[in-house]
Amino acid sequence: MADERENVGKIYAPRPYNVIGKSKPRIDGREKATGAGKYCGDLKMPNMLYGKLLQSPYAHAKILSIDTSEALKIPGVIDVITAKDVPDLKYGISPARWDENILCIEKVLFVGDKVAAVACLDEETCYKALQAIKVEYEPLKPVLDYRTAMDEDMPQIHAEYERNINTEIHQKFGDPDEVFKNAYHVRTDTFVGQRTYQSPIEPHSAISYWKEGKLTVWSSTQTVHYFQTYIARQFGLKLGDVRVIRPLIGGAFGGKLEPTGLEFCSAILSRRTGRPVKMFYDRHEMFAHNRGRHQGTYEITTGVDETGKILGVRCNFLLDGGAYTSLGIATAYYSGGLLTLTYDFENYEFNLRRMYTNLPACGAQRGHGAPQPKYAFESHLNNVAEDLGMDPIELRKRNTRKADTITINGFGIQSCHLDECIDKIVEVTDWEKKRKEGMPKNIGLGMATGSFVSGAGYPIVRSDYPHSSCMIRVNEDGTSATLYSMSVDIGQGSDTAYCQMAAEAMGYRYENMKIVAGDTETTPLDFGAYSSRQTLMGGWACKRAGEEIKSKILETAGFMLNLPPEDLICEDAKIWSRSRPKVEPLTFEEVAKKYFIIKGPLVGTGVYSPPRLGGYYKGAAVATSPAYSFCAQAAEVAVDEETGQVDILHAWDVHDAGQIINPNLMKGQVHGAFAMGFSESVYEQVLFDENGKLINPDLTNYRLITAKDMCKFDNYLIDATDEVAGPWGVKEVGEGANNPTMGAIRNAIMDAAGVSVSSLPITAEKVWRALKEKKAAEKAAAGKD
Amino acid sequence: MYLPDFDYYAPESIGDVCRMLTEYEDSMILSGGTDVLPKMKNAVLAPKTLISLKRVILNEPGMKSISYEEGRGMVIGGACTHNELVFSEVLQSKYASVSHAAQSIAANQVRHAGTIAGNIINAVPSADLPPILIALNASVTLVGINGARSLSLESLFVGPGKTVIERDEVLTEVVIPDQAMTGSAYFKYGLRKAGALATVGVAAALQMEGNRILDIRLAFGAVAPVPMRAPQTESFLKGKEATEENLEAAAAIAHDECKPITDFRASEEYRRDLVGVYSKRAIRKAIADGHR
Amino acid sequence: MSEKFLLDDNGIKRFLVTINVNGIDYTKMVKANTLLASFLRDDLDLTGTKRGCELGDCGSCTVLVDGKPMNSCLILALEADHKKIVTIEGVSTTDDLDIVQEKFLEFGAIQCGYCSPGMIMSAKALLMRNPHPTYEEIADGIAGNLCRCSGYINIIRAILSASGQEVENY
Repeated sequence: MADERENVGKIYAPRPYNVIGKSKPRIDGREKATGAGKYCGDLKMPNMLYGKLLQSPYAHAKILSIDTSEALKIPGVIDVITAKDVPDLKYGISPARWDENILCIEKVLFVGDKVAAVACLDEETCYKALQAIKVEYEPLKPVLDYRTAMDEDMPQIHAEYERNINTEIHQKFGDPDEVFKNAYHVRTDTFVGQRTYQSPIEPHSAISYWKEGKLTVWSSTQTVHYFQTYIARQFGLKLGDVRVIRPLIGGAFGGKLEPTGLEFCSAILSRRTGRPVKMFYDRHEMFAHNRGRHQGTYEITTGVDETGKILGVRCNFLLDGGAYTSLGIATAYYSGGLLTLTYDFENYEFNLRRMYTNLPACGAQRGHGAPQPKYAFESHLNNVAEDLGMDPIELRKRNTRKADTITINGFGIQSCHLDECIDKIVEVTDWEKKRKEGMPKNIGLGMATGSFVSGAGYPIVRSDYPHSSCMIRVNEDGTSATLYSMSVDIGQGSDTAYCQMAAEAMGYRYENMKIVAGDTETTPLDFGAYSSRQTLMGGWACKRAGEEIKSKILETAGFMLNLPPEDLICEDAKIWSRSRPKVEPLTFEEVAKKYFIIKGPLVGTGVYSPPRLGGYYKGAAVATSPAYSFCAQAAEVAVDEETGQVDILHAWDVHDAGQIINPNLMKGQVHGAFAMGFSESVYEQVLFDENGKLINPDLTNYRLITAKDMCKFDNYLIDATDEVAGPWGVKEVGEGANNPTMGAIRNAIMDAAGVSVSSLPITAEKVWRALKEKKAAEKAAAGKD
Repeated sequence: MYLPDFDYYAPESIGDVCRMLTEYEDSMILSGGTDVLPKMKNAVLAPKTLISLKRVILNEPGMKSISYEEGRGMVIGGACTHNELVFSEVLQSKYASVSHAAQSIAANQVRHAGTIAGNIINAVPSADLPPILIALNASVTLVGINGARSLSLESLFVGPGKTVIERDEVLTEVVIPDQAMTGSAYFKYGLRKAGALATVGVAAALQMEGNRILDIRLAFGAVAPVPMRAPQTESFLKGKEATEENLEAAAAIAHDECKPITDFRASEEYRRDLVGVYSKRAIRKAIADGHR
Repeated sequence: MSEKFLLDDNGIKRFLVTINVNGIDYTKMVKANTLLASFLRDDLDLTGTKRGCELGDCGSCTVLVDGKPMNSCLILALEADHKKIVTIEGVSTTDDLDIVQEKFLEFGAIQCGYCSPGMIMSAKALLMRNPHPTYEEIADGIAGNLCRCSGYINIIRAILSASGQEVENY
């Protein structure tokens, strides 16, 4: 900084931030770019064994017998375990329903369910061992369609849950039925969502080493804390005797939120063999484990007045949960809970059933529960606008959420710039002109809004612990500082953002920061990467820890300069005096060194607990958050009239995400969230055959978009940092950015082709069929004239 | 995943390959590996022996060359990769339509490994090269223990995964003969823009005189057990003006003439429509752009 | 010339191969079913080459084989005998990063990083063949590398910039 000396003579004035708000390079970028970084599957321990799970070939069957003797005879097979060798305690990431066993005891509940596990000298032998295990099954009738899972003649999957109902929600705020009676217009639409899978590019992997009463697990996980909690619970260990470490994580998106058979079985196999055991999923096994997005049917009724003001909304949702609960109870509550965020209405009814089926369990995929209902709602609102002869934007603007309001279901919204997001979308898409003058044939424009929590208001496993905490230790000579946090960087860049926030609060430099993260033994508690929580919640911890360091630095500098600490400023690793601007500044390094000499380690800690949030009804805790992001997205698409093919030409995102810590990382999140939404809108669907067997558990037939599919994309930000619940005014961005995508794309296709496809994915064939039906109807109508 | 055990040989000459193919039961040729190895990992194939062409291609330069031979036509070595077809200047200058078809296969990495012979002999109904090669009336050279024979590509396929190739035979070259056809084109309908199998593939080669179609050959992929010609559509178009009206009528015939099935990628009905639409588009392109 | 091998106790052939990886010849025993990806990761501990789908669909295991980007999960180690392989570890052998790696960092093209090695290998191969690719040529060049994090936007921008073309960074 050339102007440092000039500054000395100037009167202090708050300056823009030195560290946050800047696109600092990722702290883990270099090791990732050079291939040096290690993911769990890359780790090798001395004397390590390899393990695999035997998966069920049936969707629903009784296990009559398991014979492992032939497998054990194969050279290189060290151990084989079945249900009798593991604790029979049921588990599940959601304490609301523990319904899963480490290995199936009496029945298998989906194709891919866990039956046995092997430990061998090498990977190849594992596959031979799996083939040699003889399991006798008695196939049972499977429940494969969630829409009929409740029927009387359907077998019951879990003895405890009658008629296969996993969870049922009935929430009512105000009285929609009453307002519908006098509403100007009431409309009901039903939309259908598909099963999708997170498909992180890194397959799940875990290594366990159980030695001398202590269990260490390296795992590709989004949350080391909950893994530690459940692994300890499952084996009756003290938390302190279980260490969970995350190496680099190759994407998760909600799919690595809960411990799997890999962690549990590798632990048991390690205890039995005395050796570290590594287990891993193949790609098709990832699809079988799944925990991806629930498929569902979403019926929404909205009543409006003649100006388009929404008077009331009623939702009846039905979800396919698969064979186990996973995080599905939360998913279920999120599905309807979050619908009240972007539009303000006073009467709301939300009914939902989540069904058990003999299919892989569904869980929390990016946007948790919200994207499909939001797609349904945004599509439905376009239909309502059309009924009213109203521009879809006008309808939305009539109802947008405002700052400092409380949703009808009890979520407190402080900062909210949704109106500005929509206005900006109108501007950048040239909406008015395109609507007025029309667009070329078969080209259409659509938009939708989005919002999401910046961290769940309550933990997944209830506890009184702070949600985030961290510690910063400045090294002896002050030339570096290490941040310790149990947070998990799954690719979103939290390690980088945390270091930026810590350095900002310390008055230090990002370039001198190091981080130790995601290790339950060396780092203080942070719940990890889910519900878009880390930047806000972990951010407070970083800020507070950094500020503690800074105050210690200022105190020491005051002592060194013989000036009161309040007179000093610490910024960019320099300490100045306000009152005596000509005094030569001290460096952070020399002050930190002095501190160490006098007082010992220079350490700062910070914690964050959210305030009590939400209402007092059943399920009120889900979807509470200290702060909510808001956004609007638009897409322009071309539809091939003859084939129904949809080409997404251009998309825009305008975000109210509060203060941005790292613009490059933030944009990466928006790009990725949009891309996932794009892919889910038109391509992705997990498919099963009539026996519940996966049809497309691979990356050719389960289609993620490729670089050739991606469209032109523009990011815009609302420059607003007025969120008081977030440190420096930060809010989330990683999940809210796929909240509007599917609705925006559906609305654009509707605009382009003039047909509504009411189920996801909006494949070319579905558009083609709708176009064909429309033409036939037009022809029939013309024939009558 | 796991690649089961197998034995492996890499003989020096095509003659040795032919001999080993008969000598070792359940043996298969390994060339690019992009079809055989995934199928082995998925337990769809379980050969006991793989016979690699890695030395043969060093010893027999013809296996890897693409050249135009006076009197024979365009001669493409069986071991040429898809990308060698994409980047070949001589192929691009005469039949860019074939290069385009090669470029539509999978993605770059696979195109650097997979070969033209593999794309043909695996007899996958959705393969991208057979339709355009059949439209261009290509033949293949099969070398076996008792010598070489030439066969029209069209007559090679028997059913999914089945051909008339004998156990001991190696497909050494594909020959596109000199022809009167003035233009050709291949249109692929995949479910995403890269890394997709053809849901429908349509190739057209035609001879124009002014706006009149003197001759035409149409070949469809992924809509029948084998790549199929469309004789009724062809005979309807022969001698007709290339008007939109005639093309529409031809599309309707093609729609009825193909024999697709319904699977998880597309329904029969949709595939029929796509064949019609893509036939029109391939014909229009072949008229407008020649073989480019 | 033919393969040198020993028979192990189970009657399985153990072949001797010499593969040049990042400029160094490695001579090792492999089985017929040893894949190049396993050879690199397990025998040489070069774990920068990732295991993603194992069927040639995702591109995470992309390496250069005699200069061409290929999926190492679909190549037998025996087929790579006496070939020149470049892995992500060989892109830059000094402490300085290669221009593509540098641009990936600068443009935020790396998120979880799991696709990055394969993506960078595809980008390297593309730029060697075509030093000034268009946006579309880049998209085609990396279409065999799936990324779930980025929507490819920053990756394509990084490659454009690595090729010396003007790209606005934000």
